[in-house]
Amino acid sequence: MKTNQQPGLSKNKYSHISDAELLSKFYADHNNEWLGILLERYTMLLLGVSMKYLKNEEEARDAVQQVFLKVINELHKYKVEYFKSWIYMIAKNHCLMQLRNKGRFNAEITEQTLTTPAEPETNQVHIEKDQALDKLATALLQLNKEQQLCVTLFYLQKKSYQEISEQSSFSILQVKSHIQNGKRNLKIIMERRGNGQ
Amino acid sequence: MSDDLKDILSNLNNDIEQEKLLDYLNKNLSAAEAHEVEKQMADDEFMNDAVEGLENFKNKKDLSLLVEQLNRDLKKQTEKKKLKKEKRKLKEQPWFYATLVILLVLIIVSYWVIKKYLIG
Repeated sequence: MKTNQQPGLSKNKYSHISDAELLSKFYADHNNEWLGILLERYTMLLLGVSMKYLKNEEEARDAVQQVFLKVINELHKYKVEYFKSWIYMIAKNHCLMQLRNKGRFNAEITEQTLTTPAEPETNQVHIEKDQALDKLATALLQLNKEQQLCVTLFYLQKKSYQEISEQSSFSILQVKSHIQNGKRNLKIIMERRGNGQ
Repeated sequence: MSDDLKDILSNLNNDIEQEKLLDYLNKNLSAAEAHEVEKQMADDEFMNDAVEGLENFKNKKDLSLLVEQLNRDLKKQTEKKKLKKEKRKLKEQPWFYATLVILLVLIIVSYWVIKKYLIG
């Protein structure tokens, strides 16, 4: 496998092969090399998720190595269709178990994080979502001022979290939260309208 | 667009995505580019969680080195069984056994010579 100039980012001859194809190759011949190619696509994301839960760089690094080992030893037992969703679940569960074993289990972590995530949305759904938001001018007015502002700036004016934070004096965390809650409330409003028709 | 094509494209973009993530974390992106990354995060829980965690690394410039190190270890782990299989294949080579037999014969002959001419 060749590496490019930047360390940590290897462009390799397998980059044109999809996750699904790599998975089928692995299930066909149980050659762990396919798993290696697949897993390295997610190293950075796994590192981030582990760091989010474990809040320690060394422990996060160890967690990624342990998740790799778990996948190498156990993937052949399961028929996985969406590798990205599956490995996200494995990583979260591993971190939560680590926290539980060390007595650092946070009550805020709900059972939801331990369940299998839903299948990923397609690009078509993303496009439909954006189009729906564009048409939601009246629905937006029903949100509270903070959510209305953040959703408008993010989706309609395409501002970054940083820009919205500077403009609104909310922290970036508050901006993210207002956007997430605003989206959820818009969905509820639209569903209510749909039921009312 | 077929699901396979989407899947392929998402992985062709994987290296670009990681590069963009690093740039985002190091605040090297324009506001418009940052917005694109954040839009992806808003729709991708995995990515959202990952960025939250990566932002807590003290030295973000070392992240790519850390990823490289983890990938190197991963490669060693996934290549391990192959080496063991090769070792097994080696043992099955007929010349290996032939050499063993020849050595054994040489040892026996040497023992006999020593016994006859030095002791006998």
